[in-house]
Amino acid sequence: MSRYAKITDNLDWGILITTILIICIGLLSVYSSTSGTGSTIFIKQLTWISIGTFFLIIFFVVDYRTFMYSAWPIYGLTVLALVLVFIMGREISGARRWIAFGPFRMQPSELAKIFVIIWMAYWGEKRRHIQLYGFRELIFPAAIVLIPVALILAEPDLGTAGIVSFIALAMFLLLGIRRSTILSLGALCAAVMPFLWFLLKDYQRKRIFTFLDPSRDPLGSGYHAIQSKIAVGSGGLIGKGFLHGTQTQLKFLPEHHTDFIFSVVAEEWGFIGSAVILFLYLLLITRIITVGLKAKDRFGALLCFGIASYFTFHVFINMAMASGIFPVVGVPLPFISYGGSFMVINLICIGLVLNVAWRRFIF
Amino acid sequence: MNHNITGPPVEEEFKNKARVLIIFVFMLLGILLFRLFVMQIIRGSYYEGLSQNNRLRIIDIPAPRGKILDRNGIVLADTRPAYNVMVMPEDISSASDISLRLSFMLNRPRSEIEDAIRQAKSKPYDPLSIAKDISFDQVAKIEVQIFNLPGVSIETMPEREYLFQDLASHAVGFIGEISKGQLEENSEEDYGPGDIIGKSGIELACEDTLKGTKGVRIFEVDARGRRVKVLNERAAVEGTDVKLTIDEGLQSIAAKGLSDKAGAVVAMVPNTGEVLVLESSPGFDPTIFTSSMTPEQWKQVMGNPMHPLENRAMRGVYPPGSIMKVVTALAAFNAGILNPDGKIYCPGYYTLGHTVFRCWQARGHGQVDLVTAITQSCDVYFYTLGRALGIDGIAAYAFMLGLGTKTGIVLGDDSPGLMPTKLWKRQRYGQPWHPGEDVIAAIGQGFILVTPLQIAKAMSAVVNGGKVFTPKLLEEGQSVLERNLNIPKSRLDYIKEGLKGAVENDRGTAQSIKDPLFSIGGKTGTAQVARGYTSKLSDESDIPYKYRDHAWIFGFSPVEKPEIVVVALVEHGGHGGAVAGPIVRDVIKGYYLQKEAVREQIRQNYR
Repeated sequence: MSRYAKITDNLDWGILITTILIICIGLLSVYSSTSGTGSTIFIKQLTWISIGTFFLIIFFVVDYRTFMYSAWPIYGLTVLALVLVFIMGREISGARRWIAFGPFRMQPSELAKIFVIIWMAYWGEKRRHIQLYGFRELIFPAAIVLIPVALILAEPDLGTAGIVSFIALAMFLLLGIRRSTILSLGALCAAVMPFLWFLLKDYQRKRIFTFLDPSRDPLGSGYHAIQSKIAVGSGGLIGKGFLHGTQTQLKFLPEHHTDFIFSVVAEEWGFIGSAVILFLYLLLITRIITVGLKAKDRFGALLCFGIASYFTFHVFINMAMASGIFPVVGVPLPFISYGGSFMVINLICIGLVLNVAWRRFIF
Repeated sequence: MNHNITGPPVEEEFKNKARVLIIFVFMLLGILLFRLFVMQIIRGSYYEGLSQNNRLRIIDIPAPRGKILDRNGIVLADTRPAYNVMVMPEDISSASDISLRLSFMLNRPRSEIEDAIRQAKSKPYDPLSIAKDISFDQVAKIEVQIFNLPGVSIETMPEREYLFQDLASHAVGFIGEISKGQLEENSEEDYGPGDIIGKSGIELACEDTLKGTKGVRIFEVDARGRRVKVLNERAAVEGTDVKLTIDEGLQSIAAKGLSDKAGAVVAMVPNTGEVLVLESSPGFDPTIFTSSMTPEQWKQVMGNPMHPLENRAMRGVYPPGSIMKVVTALAAFNAGILNPDGKIYCPGYYTLGHTVFRCWQARGHGQVDLVTAITQSCDVYFYTLGRALGIDGIAAYAFMLGLGTKTGIVLGDDSPGLMPTKLWKRQRYGQPWHPGEDVIAAIGQGFILVTPLQIAKAMSAVVNGGKVFTPKLLEEGQSVLERNLNIPKSRLDYIKEGLKGAVENDRGTAQSIKDPLFSIGGKTGTAQVARGYTSKLSDESDIPYKYRDHAWIFGFSPVEKPEIVVVALVEHGGHGGAVAGPIVRDVIKGYYLQKEAVREQIRQNYR
């Protein structure tokens, strides 16, 4: 009884408040980027936040070790969902990423991110006697991770596949890998890289070309990059003001409520606003790492580290893309970009971190 | 539970790694902060310049819609350029000043223009159309003054033009601004708010073919909003033309024949299913939906008690009346219960239990065989067949001919009508089928409801020997043979002889379509509107309009090898062929005259 009485005392308020602040900024940005179009996206985003909060509570209330015990079923479910995408997915502009449940559409590749984190953390807990991973120990977990990655690549969704691989890579490094293994694997990757080029779809190659030289195709795929840079740069120190970003309100920027929402923020709130957001993310991510460090078991710790690296990759790739130092890939900005599954998954992550933080006081 | 039995404590194990992770996070976010600092503070004015001075304007160029042509290439729906006055609200410095100038040039109240501009200020970068389709004089006046009118421009927009106004308006359909529902339905295609889309008829059914591909024009404008230059342009691609099987000439004859009467005419080529005429009256001018419709025009169309928008040819449902007798006869043949030479005595009535069913000829037809029964439309003969067949026997054959189901025409929104069965009545009303209903179904009264297009389809199949074709409205593509009933020639000859007699015999009921020059067969029908009313009043003109029966007539020609089938229905047209007959006859004559004209032309070309 008494150990549940103090929910508020042991709750990690820092994480919760930072998250709420970022979500508020996100809502303002979504509102601004869709204002005047009569679109219902703002309302939809509010709905998704409510649904996400519901899931956050579930993933907070249930003891996080439950997810450790059910790592395999969760993993199976994810792979099943990814396979379903091929069977009943809707094809939109050459990629099959969505499955529909009545009025709701869901991206199973989003699920893959969180479930890879859970499975890796589970594996780290289960094989806690392994101090340093060599080739032999790596084969099985690497194969397990590569199955969903391959499925996502085939959709094709290069951005998400990359993010999932990065998370897995980060978690392997956290688990500890032999130096010799790292070196030889790095060499292998460098050798394989040129061949990957042939696996890319035409539009993906085009994006990389235009990243290197956006003026190649100012109306096509370079268009995003150029317009986004103008938006971000013209924000200046204090920005053009809420709802007054000319670039975004002019609709120069397609997808400015999803992948390119940072351009809206940077244009309307300037360097000061961008810096505040960066600071909030920094606060959130470092706090998540601290929670992991204080966790009472390896699973909890790895869960937090995985989630921290997940947010880091998303924030970095998205903002780097918007400011023109990364090719255009479909990687949204956590808590700010519009997107249902994405918002829910992010809030689930926060629920899990709060869960780990809260249960370290319970023995 | 103790979790640290096998490994070192979590904090100790991960301390260094977590530190590395945090440094890594700082590094990445630091790179971003540095990048943003460079872009927004150091290079900020450069980007500011790009966004301020080189303002770009992106304008969609609507694609001209494809034409809609008749079978001979006569243009029914065309696209012509129209001049619209556009305003970019952001670039208007003084709404009152601009609207004053424009009000003189456009001859419209200043307040109206000013209000429109002020309202549009909430979407300052969306071009706003102030006036549509202005005259050449007005274009000239504005173009001369264009330098005093920053933010104002004249755009050429493709405008739909229906060259024959209300001719074939139901088949051609109309277009209009895309609705919210249509926008959501077509969310994966290239539609935006304000776009034009097909709303009905071929305009809707062939939207994908007709619409073409939108173009894009990117302008650079100066600080005052004047266009400096076109930076880039992707031309719009005109939509593809659609050729119909409709014959404009025959359609005109049918329309003239119906004039202001409510009704429908359908003509078909029996051996291909091609629809030559698809006329519904009254019609409407589709142009009024394209340009801004005045409230009066709207009222005139929507408030008209004759419902001009309704396509009676394929959506109007009526009892088939005596035309059904042809179906009943074939069903009886098919069931093996009909001896065409055997005679049935018609005393002028038919009794079933205690109920008496009258023949339209009160004094009776005497001894009648099949040919006479069709020629003189003897009710008693078919009452007898109907009683023997039962409703399910009639319905099964009627379904095979395409009655009581959608015809499959490309327009897609035709009515299925209704072909009752015993099961249907039990499910619908929870009541058993009465034998008396078999009797009246045999002469096309009771529950049965069909559309003129269904009758054209079914009668085409009958006269061509049983080949049921889907009505074909687009010239492109093959004819679709739904099924072949393979009516034996011996049976078909009896039916055709009866139908020929109905037109040519002195006692035939369809004499109104007789023509001395051509071999024509046919049959009339009367769709009862108010049962019982007709029998009490002898003179048709005494009956109020809305209680008068609907008049059906169908004709085909030549009888031996039919090339055309024409069906006419005149709402409240009273009995038989008086009104409807001449329309069918004129369309058939028109068909031959055109053929003759074509032959003449060929002859001259080869001379």
